[in-house]
Amino acid sequence: MDSTELARRLAEIVGERHVRIAEGDLEAYARDATPLFRHRPDVVVFPGDATEVAAVLTLATELSVPVVPRGAGSNLAAATVPLAGGIVLVLTRLTRILEISGPELLARVQPGVSTKALADAAAAAGLLYVPDPGSQVVSTVGGNVATCAGGLRGLKYGVTRNYVLGLEVALATGEIIRTGGRLWKDVAGYDLTRLLTGSEGTLGVITEVTVALVPKPAAARTGVAYFTDLAAAGRAVAAVIGAGITPATCEFLDRTCVAAVEDYAHLGLDTDAGALLLFGDDGDPEMVEASLARIGQVCTEQGATGVTLAGSIAASEDLLAARRCSLPALSRLGSLTILEDATVPRPQLAEMADRIAAIAAKHRLTIGTFGHAGDGNLHPTCVLDAHDTEAIERSHAAFGEIFAAAMELGGTITGEHGVGAAKLPYLERRLGADQLALLRRIKSAFDPAGILNPGKLGS
Amino acid sequence: MAGDKIFDDELLSRCMSCGFCLPSCPTYRLTGEEASSPRGRITLMRAVQEDRLDVTDPTVLAQSEFCLGCRACEPVCPAGVQYGQLLEQWRDTEWQGRRRPLLARGLLAMMSFVGMVGITLLGLVRRAAVTRRGTEAEPHLMLGCVERVLYPKVSRSARRLVPALRAPAVQGCCGALHAHNGESERGRRLARRLGRRLPGTIVTTSGGCSAHLTAELGADRVVEFSAWIAAGNGPDPAQLRAIMLDENGEPLPPHASGGRPARIGLQDSCHLRNAVGVWREPRELIARLGEYVEVPDAGGCCGAAGSYSVLRPADSRAVLAPKLDALAGLDLDYLAVVNPGCYRQLAGALKGSRTRVVHLAELLATAAPS
Ligand SMILES: Cc1cc2nc3c(=O)[nH]c(=O)nc-3n(C[C@H](O)[C@H](O)[C@H](O)COP(=O)(O)OP(=O)(O)OC[C@H]3O[C@@H](n4cnc5c(N)ncnc54)[C@H](O)[C@@H]3O)c2cc1C
Ligand code: SF4
Ligand code: SF4
Repeated sequence: MDSTELARRLAEIVGERHVRIAEGDLEAYARDATPLFRHRPDVVVFPGDATEVAAVLTLATELSVPVVPRGAGSNLAAATVPLAGGIVLVLTRLTRILEISGPELLARVQPGVSTKALADAAAAAGLLYVPDPGSQVVSTVGGNVATCAGGLRGLKYGVTRNYVLGLEVALATGEIIRTGGRLWKDVAGYDLTRLLTGSEGTLGVITEVTVALVPKPAAARTGVAYFTDLAAAGRAVAAVIGAGITPATCEFLDRTCVAAVEDYAHLGLDTDAGALLLFGDDGDPEMVEASLARIGQVCTEQGATGVTLAGSIAASEDLLAARRCSLPALSRLGSLTILEDATVPRPQLAEMADRIAAIAAKHRLTIGTFGHAGDGNLHPTCVLDAHDTEAIERSHAAFGEIFAAAMELGGTITGEHGVGAAKLPYLERRLGADQLALLRRIKSAFDPAGILNPGKLGS
Repeated sequence: MAGDKIFDDELLSRCMSCGFCLPSCPTYRLTGEEASSPRGRITLMRAVQEDRLDVTDPTVLAQSEFCLGCRACEPVCPAGVQYGQLLEQWRDTEWQGRRRPLLARGLLAMMSFVGMVGITLLGLVRRAAVTRRGTEAEPHLMLGCVERVLYPKVSRSARRLVPALRAPAVQGCCGALHAHNGESERGRRLARRLGRRLPGTIVTTSGGCSAHLTAELGADRVVEFSAWIAAGNGPDPAQLRAIMLDENGEPLPPHASGGRPARIGLQDSCHLRNAVGVWREPRELIARLGEYVEVPDAGGCCGAAGSYSVLRPADSRAVLAPKLDALAGLDLDYLAVVNPGCYRQLAGALKGSRTRVVHLAELLATAAPS
């Protein structure tokens, strides 16, 4: 079917105003935040509710047209690039916060609500929505669930998966199901909620999310410790946890990242230091003070060259905000920024940092590394010249070695950004052939026609 | 366009498509569509630069017009993308000849020699401030084409507050409108000419002109009025009277009635805030005049956006609508503005409401110590 005819059929479902086939609009949806991947869809559609989503999927299944669900397109795994063309199904019209329940400590939202909007609404009710990916100002809750996003509070509180209570999902075959619900305790049936969380738009389209909230901590504060290099900071992280402290936040940035962030945020960070550890805790005010003092002390014992605590709430927030910007800030250094996402067990952080530095040197690349140190989650980020194809080749080789190193140290190829198209070639090495085959059988049970996000998980 | 590069590659490649700019963009807020977001527009520019889309592509054209040019996407961009410059380069190519919106052609024609003579005369008739030209040592007040005709009170107030300001009648146009409407080079030339006509420090009362002139002549020569006063020029801000008087020395309405301090809000000028970085100073000054009330999303565009409200009235109103809702709940006595476009947009929209729209220079003049 040609795209004009497809658009006509889609317009019958969502109305003509919400279908786009002009070349320029297709171009705008040809990529997400991942560099080096782009492919135009044939049509872009903006459904207004779950029923419309289901009807679009039914039509797509009937016609065997690929469908790529999309939130804010802020993912870094080419997960929303429509590699096989077809329909990009954008959920940005579904932006209603349906309910915030204090007594039940939960919120029910449509998938297009931005993470920040949910966090703000929860805060207004005296509650906290815990997952806070660096991209929270732009990312959607639907996208967060579909990628199982992590965040800056992951160490003490866990990631998106730990907060999803229930989902409403439109299936490729047109049914709308509700998994889980409003309860923490509910073991009726397979845990489809968990299966769908992190399914990257390959099993169904999330049309509503119920998430757990927690009471807002009375106090929250952050501090900064400087080290001579990333490995030293990594050893300090292991020592902090080893001392029985679980900070809410424990992030690190190497010299390159500190300089880039300082250039953007002007916070007065020490750009001469080799690495920075940003730590924070929340809870009862006295406990927070004690915890921060203790972390500072352990860092000093581990050779920190300086430790400072943020003076005010605003200063704490500025530090966190600056950390959230590390990736785009890094792109000041070159015209192409390729970020990766490897995770290792915490005791291996220092070793992994050293290996990344060695791999970068071997391939003559600038690789800045930052990450959710507390989770063992590193983001080695290569900055280069977009026209230098030879350097791009070298970066591919380097990242291959970085993933191999992560797996060798007992880690994984992605801690939070997902597999998408970018990491698919590495998936079998991580899961093994048998598990991958099972994944594919699960995929075909959900999506018999194979229309949902082809070229990604389950392909 | 035979291989000619439209955009500066260096500027274009800065964007890493993170999308941090999306929530700040008023047009993206209206549509939720990628193509009407800063990131999407940059994607379109890239496609044009790399020959995947033609400059005449309808979406490309439509988006170059739909963008307000408010540059709210710039200060929030961690990668430091200079979107304003990209937009000028875009429009320089897009809006040539027949593709330039008809009304924009009219506006630019108004700034021609004949038009400027008319504007100067009209300014005189409307009694905008005028003095003879001074020396480099004396600060010069820029009168602004739109402002001197529509709001001559602004320049009069500025001079009442600081009589040392020189304001020669023959100034010409700063070229901001040209730069925003596809004639960057001409915009640059006009700015330089204005720089020669007003030697020394140029004080501006229009956010849009201020940003354009600053970009062309440098921050050491151009300073916006409120920043200039806050920096200690003119009367000592600490001595401004909290009871405001009109030109005849009569107390202004809210004080005449309740005697309480006036509730005063501010609408930022997009260019002043996003391009020049001036937003604290006007707030600090207002806090001396009465009770400062922060308008929600004061930094968000009011939809005036230079010539935008004339070129695209419907979109302009749609951008303004949420701001009016926010204002309705604030019960302000005054809403201060620092740019004639915002003045016109908001004064029109708030006509008949309790809130009076005034330029900050006017407010300051009424509060000046006698
Ligand atoms: C600067 C920056 C910082 C970041 N920081 C973090 C971080 O700290 N932690 C982290 O985990 N990630 C981070 N990310 C990555 C990204 O923001 C997350 O993956 C985020 O969850 C994506 O949300 P989105 O709304 O943009 O989804 P999209 O990018 O639009 O989509 C992501 C995936 O989810 C699927 N999807 C989206 N919506 C739905 C739906 N309703 N139903 C089914 N499938 C859907 C898509 O098909 C795709 O596979 C960062 C990205 C950037 C650019
Ligand atoms: S303009 Fe800046 S904020 Fe927007 S997508 Fe590009 S890099 Fe990110
Ligand atoms: S200038 Fe304003 S309207 Fe244009 S893209 Fe930037 S934020 Fe959006």
